[in-house]
Amino acid sequence: MLLLLWELLLPTKMAMAINRIKTYFTKSVHIAPLAVFRIAFGLLMLASIIRFIGKGWVYDMYIKPKVFFSYYGFEWVKPFGETGMYVLFVVMAAAALCITVGFFYRLSSILFFVIFTYVELIDKTNYLNHYYFISIISLLMIFLPAHRYFSIDSWRKQAIQVSHIPNYFLLIIKMQVFIVYFFAGIAKINSDWLLEAMPLKIWLPAHSEMPLIGKYLTKEWVAYAFSWFGCIYDILIPFFLFSERTIKPAYFFVIIFHLATSLFFNIGMFPYVMICLTTTFFSETFHIRLINFLRQILKLNMLPVTEFVYKPSILQLRLLKWLMVVHFSVQLVLPFRYLFYDENLFWTEQGFRFSWRVMLMEKAGTAFFYIRDKQSGKEIEISNCDFLTPMQEKMMATQPDMLIQYAHILKKEYEKKGLKNVEVLAESYVTLNGKPSSLIVDKSTVLSNEVDNFKPKRWIMPISSNH
Amino acid sequence: MKKSFIYYVLMISTISLCFHCKKKETDGQDDTATFDKSAMLSNYANQVIIPNYVVAKQALDSFALAYTDFLQTKNTVNLTSARQKFIRAYSVFQYVSCFEFGPSENEFIRANFNTYPCDTSQIKANISTGNYDFNLVANLDAKGFPAIDYLLFGKSQSDATIVSLFDSNTQATNRSAYISNCLSEMQTKLNTVINSWNNSYKGTFVASTGSEIGSSLGMLVNQLNYELDALKNAKIGIPAGKKSMGVALPEKCEAYYAQNYSVQLAKQCLQNLENVYLGRSITGSDGLGLDDYLDALKAQHISGTLNNAIKNQFATAKSKLGLIQEPLSSSVATDAQAIDAAYVEIVKLLVLLKTDAPSVMGIIITYQDGDGD
Repeated sequence: MLLLLWELLLPTKMAMAINRIKTYFTKSVHIAPLAVFRIAFGLLMLASIIRFIGKGWVYDMYIKPKVFFSYYGFEWVKPFGETGMYVLFVVMAAAALCITVGFFYRLSSILFFVIFTYVELIDKTNYLNHYYFISIISLLMIFLPAHRYFSIDSWRKQAIQVSHIPNYFLLIIKMQVFIVYFFAGIAKINSDWLLEAMPLKIWLPAHSEMPLIGKYLTKEWVAYAFSWFGCIYDILIPFFLFSERTIKPAYFFVIIFHLATSLFFNIGMFPYVMICLTTTFFSETFHIRLINFLRQILKLNMLPVTEFVYKPSILQLRLLKWLMVVHFSVQLVLPFRYLFYDENLFWTEQGFRFSWRVMLMEKAGTAFFYIRDKQSGKEIEISNCDFLTPMQEKMMATQPDMLIQYAHILKKEYEKKGLKNVEVLAESYVTLNGKPSSLIVDKSTVLSNEVDNFKPKRWIMPISSNH
Repeated sequence: MKKSFIYYVLMISTISLCFHCKKKETDGQDDTATFDKSAMLSNYANQVIIPNYVVAKQALDSFALAYTDFLQTKNTVNLTSARQKFIRAYSVFQYVSCFEFGPSENEFIRANFNTYPCDTSQIKANISTGNYDFNLVANLDAKGFPAIDYLLFGKSQSDATIVSLFDSNTQATNRSAYISNCLSEMQTKLNTVINSWNNSYKGTFVASTGSEIGSSLGMLVNQLNYELDALKNAKIGIPAGKKSMGVALPEKCEAYYAQNYSVQLAKQCLQNLENVYLGRSITGSDGLGLDDYLDALKAQHISGTLNNAIKNQFATAKSKLGLIQEPLSSSVATDAQAIDAAYVEIVKLLVLLKTDAPSVMGIIITYQDGDGD
């Protein structure tokens, strides 16, 4: 009887809920937060690119290396040579500037996304979750009407100017930020992080010389406190950001958290990116005031924007809907693909990238590679520095897919030198989160016969099995 | 929503509080003792690095004097004496070679002093023209210790023949001057390094107590590993044929022409690396070093501490290296077993020092800057 009643009630309840969600997604909100987002993102990217060029990393990462570790399916992505790479970075910087001021916004955002992603795809040595995040955000920005307010585009063409947009445009950004935090938090629920306080137990004492706080960093409980706080912060903060009531204390924690990470870890611009971009969650009054303030200090005499709600065409809307459904489905599923592999995720790194697993492990290794003549059994030991940059060597030693790629690179190099019939073997000693180093691959595997694909890599030796 | 926020805040604080209390009760004693990194760096600067440079400079000066004696009275007795002083200078150089950062890096000491094997035809050409510039990269393997080794010892020539090359040979003057020029370049560079350490670099070095790329600790550990890598490859592996399908390449030995000293130089190199690891001076007094730092960090290995594992591995590697017979240039062909045994132990030591130790110290082994994740 009760059950029957429930079933009768259910459709209406669901309809109500769906209706409420629909209203939430489609209600009109002010466009100011999106314009501020555009400006902040553009400026941050401009600063990042200038910093990147200034540190000489264009040369170190894309010109100096003789070989590159491409991503599966993206072997066609190659660097453009010295002039080409610098031109690419300058164009990217120009695109970031255009995004900031909203000048040819659509074109600039496409250009920025394509160049940035292309550069990232050249060599997986340089993979950082932060770069992946930038790629995604710039992709999403292509579809946002962020130039329809307080921009050069809307000043030149008054017709495109709007004051309000449907809420879903803001939600796209907010949901992406939500996913980053939430998955980063979930990834921290593992025994090393919570029960051993690893790797913070290693990373924090390394800063024992810091004034005032240094002496606490060597305390074990501090590492535990940081680990637990980090985990809880990452999981909860996106919920608190979403609510207008809790946004203020939440943002206070955002600042504390990211400033702390920038103090202790070598993570470049990322903390500032997050501190700036999370302001999107602030109320529209805040953003309107911010833009008015910008207007004043820049002495811009702009006509007041007439109240107008932006409505994408039905075709645009349908396209956007499906793109976002696909995008966010992928986002939700990708971090869980590691479940297809049964070995230790941190050790094998199968399904590790593109999952917001940030700062989770202290991993280092030393790899020895050998070219063996199949007929005589005689070997050549390779000096990795003859082929790889220090950064490539460091990354390759601990990441199984890169070990295979390097084996193939070496085989090709030696075949070019006229050595036919050779196979490539390797021994790589890897330490993970302070555990004694052990072999991740030994000479019983002919690495050059292995293929890098998404199948489980059975040749990877189990962690700490070979002491 | 307000309620749930308060609830969450309470939850966070409770969990963290519980954790603090629990930790304090159970293993409050287990906190890593605060380790005085700046005292360690000061020990390295004052007791290890600078004194080693001074000894290296003295040995070089004393060779210079013996060589001047030889030039004044060219006979086999003075040649022998100069050779002995040369070997001594070459040996003591092993005690500074691994400090290739700061002033030393500016002077490219390692490459300028000890790029081997030397290019004998380049040396001959330089001597015959008498016109050469040691600042050119092309002359890197035509100067320094390896060039002097070649000129003072020659290849299977009698002592009398060597003396005559400096005395009656048509190029005797040029040849004599060549060694003097090599020597004065090295003396000048070592002087610059020592002055620089004594003036301002010591302060810079001791003050940089972080562990990031470019910090004193980072550079010290990286160069320690670079040197160990050179011991493994250049001093032993390459002559033993590790990079040439097992075909021994005796002429690639360090101090190839002096014969009988290649293993000794390798042993000195390893001894110095152990000294540096322990924070021990050349005279044997042990101060704060990486060993103490690893113990302070409570670094563990398979059984016992990581520090003990490393110390034991130093001992094993030293004893195996000691079993290789001089001259190395013959042993590489005749005693592969002894060489392989030492090689394997050096590799094990390398893994401990390059992977395990830096990882627990939070040091990145790379000579390249970049952002982390």
